[in-house]
Amino acid sequence: MTTLEGFLIALAKTVVIFLGVVNVAALMTLAERKFSAWMQYRIGPNRVGPYGLLQPLADGVKFIFKEELTPAGANRFMFRAAPILAALPSMMTIAVIPFAPDIVIGGKNFGALTIADLDIGILYILALGGLAIYGVILGGWASNSKYSLLGSLRASAQMISYELTLILTILSVVVMSGSLNLREIVEAQSDITRWNAWNVHAMPQFVAFVLFVVATFAETNRHPFDFSECEPELVGGFHTEYSAMKWAMFYIGEYSAMTVMAALTVVLFLGGWSVPFWPDAPWYVGLAAMLAKTGCFLFLFLWVRWTLPRFRFDQLMRLGWKVFLPLALLNLVVTGAVVSLR
Amino acid sequence: MVIVKRKELSLAEKLYLPEVLRGLSVTFRKMFEPKVTRQYPEEPLPKTEVTRGQPRLVVNEDDAIACVSCGLCEAACPAYAITIDGGETDRAIEREPKRFDIDMLRCILCGFCEEACPKDAIYMSDELELADYSREALIYDIEKLKRPKAALQKRIDYVNRINKRWQTPSST
Repeated sequence: MTTLEGFLIALAKTVVIFLGVVNVAALMTLAERKFSAWMQYRIGPNRVGPYGLLQPLADGVKFIFKEELTPAGANRFMFRAAPILAALPSMMTIAVIPFAPDIVIGGKNFGALTIADLDIGILYILALGGLAIYGVILGGWASNSKYSLLGSLRASAQMISYELTLILTILSVVVMSGSLNLREIVEAQSDITRWNAWNVHAMPQFVAFVLFVVATFAETNRHPFDFSECEPELVGGFHTEYSAMKWAMFYIGEYSAMTVMAALTVVLFLGGWSVPFWPDAPWYVGLAAMLAKTGCFLFLFLWVRWTLPRFRFDQLMRLGWKVFLPLALLNLVVTGAVVSLR
Repeated sequence: MVIVKRKELSLAEKLYLPEVLRGLSVTFRKMFEPKVTRQYPEEPLPKTEVTRGQPRLVVNEDDAIACVSCGLCEAACPAYAITIDGGETDRAIEREPKRFDIDMLRCILCGFCEEACPKDAIYMSDELELADYSREALIYDIEKLKRPKAALQKRIDYVNRINKRWQTPSST
């Protein structure tokens, strides 16, 4: 394989994955409104395009043409930088998530469908996940508004406390799989007949799975943990003062973070692209399986949002520090003991 | 003093998750239940004979307007929405309006004009939609108000029936 060929393949993968995730994020805004409508006996948006499918496009056009407001006394540079900082990390995280096994077209192997097959993929995700908080906290701080500031303070406290749980649960998975490379983690759990298959399936990491999913909700600031927005008390939370495309950037960031987190859950706990009882499935079946599993988790995000009421902030912190953290630690210790004694 | 006795939560309830799953199952079931939304322009509101929409002028079977421009509706109108200029005609009723304007922005759809009319010439139709781009366009003239009698028949029958209820036998 020549250098040019390798470059072109990498470019193609980047374009496919990036556009895919951005489009999924856009469609999620529609899906959110559709599912919320159905759960409330309503129909939901259906005017723009068939079944309202072009609604995200119409929303995008609206955002672009809306007036941009900057509150008096806002730190203009930070105010502009915050939405970019909020949207960027989740989009960069996509790079290491493997969506399909080695793509073979016409007997030619193009490698796994991932932008960067990093050996420290998990470390990369956690590092960028830690950066995501900057967009939120800078947005709230630079707005020069009490609601924004309170929202961003809450969001940062929450994200930091739940990141611990997130990291500890991921660590147990790493211990099980013996690798920090996401592709290898998928491959380690792909054989359904083995004891560590699908991490969650054979039950050894079920606790970690539940903790991880809940921590994911808190990490992406989704219901029932969306204290950064909390509209009854804080108007709109950290993005109270944002309008037009700047606000849309926060939104895109939130939805692409959801997409990435859903994909990550599947990769870590549900065997990524592996299909049960069909170990040598072709790559397109694997891709379809991966997308289907991710879709289920995206639906779970919406489903939970329209089911559960918001927690109180102290309940959230208590849950994070007094329940989740000890459980995650215990789980890690048990996992380590089992793996080393096996 | 009121002492609130809080219900002790069971272990399953304290664990959240079973209850969360129960809630999720409820919302999932609700997704497939019939929708209550009315797709308004395509699915219009149900209209009955009682529907009291905007006032309209009756055009009789001989294509002539029933109004004789007596001005009673104009006088009865609490919102001063009606403006009538009377004129003569060769028809047997001798008089007809030269101008009959209803300012639909002032009209409060009370139906007093319908009650006041001695010639059964103005009725509240079942037309409810009122939207336009300028104020001027919402001052309706005769041409916009005219409706064939058949279109208003349901309301006419209804009003006649109701009026009969209040008819008292003559004392003479």
